[in-house]
Amino acid sequence: MTMFTRNDKASEPNPVSPARPQGTGAAADYATRPQATTQPLSGTTMTTQNVSVISKALRITGQLESTEDIRIDGEVDGDVRAVSVNVGPNARVKGTVRGESVELAGTVEGRIEAKKVVLASTARMTGDVVHQDIKIESGAYIDGHLKPEYGKQENRPVSQIKPVASAARETPKPSGDVAARA
Amino acid sequence: MLSPMRTFARPNGRSDAAASRSHLGRSLTVKGIIDTDGEVHIHGRMLGRINAGSLVVSPEGYVEGDIVARDAHIGGRFNGRIFALNVTLDSSADVSGRIFHNTVTVERGARVDARMPWRPPSFFETLEQLPETKE
Repeated sequence: MTMFTRNDKASEPNPVSPARPQGTGAAADYATRPQATTQPLSGTTMTTQNVSVISKALRITGQLESTEDIRIDGEVDGDVRAVSVNVGPNARVKGTVRGESVELAGTVEGRIEAKKVVLASTARMTGDVVHQDIKIESGAYIDGHLKPEYGKQENRPVSQIKPVASAARETPKPSGDVAARA
Repeated sequence: MLSPMRTFARPNGRSDAAASRSHLGRSLTVKGIIDTDGEVHIHGRMLGRINAGSLVVSPEGYVEGDIVARDAHIGGRFNGRIFALNVTLDSSADVSGRIFHNTVTVERGARVDARMPWRPPSFFETLEQLPETKE
């Protein structure tokens, strides 16, 4: 009982009581709205079926791989690979971020490998950035090398990501590029 | 390290839910540990451990590993162990493993190949370490 309320004000309206009847009520509440699992989340424009959102209260230790877009507002301890990665202002990634396009407004400790890199003014980047095309806004913190050689060397894993049709907007000619390198 | 206690710390504060709701899309594969007080929706694949306030595995989702949550709502495939006060298995669920629960709802049509031990709420409060279970 104490565990459910210990971090909250006493005015919590609906404390989950360990009493069985109430627990059943919570489960029934789920059952009455089973659609929730398949509906895109409402309220946020970012949250469509195709975009993955790591919210600010979430922490992932391990690796993320997607053939679509990822938005990170939380904390990731590990590598991220996606078509387009957006690291929000209060987010933090420790590891390598790979993608066709990476937008950073938060913190990355590690490495960025992407065709198109945008470092916003709030970005804090510790480590190397391998890119083809980079934009750095005034105020961004960078401690590392910028290497404009993305697409020349060991970036095969990225190129192996097959962009889903809907996600291919950032990548005008990915297949031709791959062929040229192969 | 990760304390499962944290996963129960926050009741379902609805105002807060939107901000702390994470959405793992259909094409996302996560290997490792997911840790949050909020809500997680999994439409893709997740291998590893999930600590969450509330977890939803959608019909196209797949989870393998341990789940520790207050509410677990499974609509997709799951293989492993669930430790949750309230468990709901949708009609589209395909579940195997063990489901430690206090209340459980199984919809008609769900495929369940699992042991479903009932536990008192205190069991979930004291989940400092997940018990070892061997098949």
